[in-house]
Amino acid sequence: MTPASPIPDAALAALETAINHYIALDPEGAARLGPLAGRLIALEFKGFGNRLYFIPGAEGFQIYGAYDAEPDCLLRGTSLALARLGLSRRKEDALFSGQVEVEGDTALAQRFGDFMAGLEIDWEEQVSRLTGDALAHALGSRLRAAGHWGRRSLDILGLDLKEYLQEEGRLLPTRYELEGFLDEVDRLRDDGERLAARVERLHRLLQTGSRAGCGAGQDEEGPPC
Amino acid sequence: MSDDKTTHFGYKQVPVEEKSSHVRAVFDSVASRYDLMNDLMSLGIHRLWKRYTIELAGVRRGQRVLDLAGGTGDLASRFARITGPEGQVVLTDINAAMLTMGRDRLLDQGLAVNLLYAQVNAETQPFPDGYFDCVTIGFGLRNVTHKQKALAEMYRVLKPGGRALVLEFSHPTSQPLAKAYDLYSFSVLPALGRLITSDADSYRYLAESIRMHPDQETLRGMMAAAGFERCEYFNLTGGIVAIHRGYRL
Repeated sequence: MTPASPIPDAALAALETAINHYIALDPEGAARLGPLAGRLIALEFKGFGNRLYFIPGAEGFQIYGAYDAEPDCLLRGTSLALARLGLSRRKEDALFSGQVEVEGDTALAQRFGDFMAGLEIDWEEQVSRLTGDALAHALGSRLRAAGHWGRRSLDILGLDLKEYLQEEGRLLPTRYELEGFLDEVDRLRDDGERLAARVERLHRLLQTGSRAGCGAGQDEEGPPC
Repeated sequence: MSDDKTTHFGYKQVPVEEKSSHVRAVFDSVASRYDLMNDLMSLGIHRLWKRYTIELAGVRRGQRVLDLAGGTGDLASRFARITGPEGQVVLTDINAAMLTMGRDRLLDQGLAVNLLYAQVNAETQPFPDGYFDCVTIGFGLRNVTHKQKALAEMYRVLKPGGRALVLEFSHPTSQPLAKAYDLYSFSVLPALGRLITSDADSYRYLAESIRMHPDQETLRGMMAAAGFERCEYFNLTGGIVAIHRGYRL
């Protein structure tokens, strides 16, 4: 069994309820989970070593911090890389650049990522349960129109604001700067681990060397014991 | 110690053949509000204990699972989603009222394809040898009259490589916790029982039966005596509850 997850079970139970509630809002999306039912998908967070296990079912996931069985597929990466895999539209970036390692059933990993990224919620259907189809549709059309306008405006505003903050104000880093920084953090961590391993190896070498030196009973010219 | 003719029912001694009918009366009385009481009594923590049981069971798609004394189907509902349509989950309980509650609840959750139900006494299980990949008994073993017999049956119906899990109240590992727990279970529990199911006696029985249940090490020894190997236990919530796991190898 993997070591106990530092993520408390209570938090995972809450996460499970929240995600399943979210999935329930998109019944067609949830139906895509059907064929994956009972498969065991593990996410391993590099640097922390803990895992999250997802078991899809017809109406959502069961999520555990440990599961005493070999997963069908294991996705291993830094928290950020795993988040990118789920959220970004271009998962291939994360998969093919080697930021996320996949072990086991890669097709399953791909479908899991697709599912997480492709959840769409049909608000109209949800409202129609309360108000009936006609009213919900009218409401939906208005909301969609408003939504489109709003999204366009927000996009423009967002672009303007982003440009101002990044380029003119120099208050925020650009995406490339941020990714560069995150890569450097990852590299620094790896370097740190390598250095620690190297020091450890040198330390061992020194100890075995000095023991060998003492044991051989060398004269004064030998290395100091 | 009881002689051969009597056994404990909580702190009372009753004739061996009568224990199961006493237990039945307790559960007939609490069945309709069993889930609500569980939530109140354990402050919702029983859900986490059951989650941990599922994690330790490590059941896979297509496997066969037997849930003994499955009550209202908390474990079976999760197992059924994991084993999928090619698997099989058998929910059993000795008590018809509890089993009916469990079946209704699982049907309401849309679970039907791979679930079977049977009214079963854990001491005499109507299943072939080596049939199941996993057998669980959650908060049930302490109500069984002949526990060793039930463990032997669990061993018999398991496939080689299969595992049995016993989720059960146990004995707190620290003295202060044990004191607080006693106070809670002999004062608060019966009062809650009276409020919600108008039945304080049944909940007093629950508290007493927990004290009479073998402690962690004893139960592990009983599992080993039944033939299980690699027997181990996991204390939860300071030993108030323990999960024992053993394999048929």
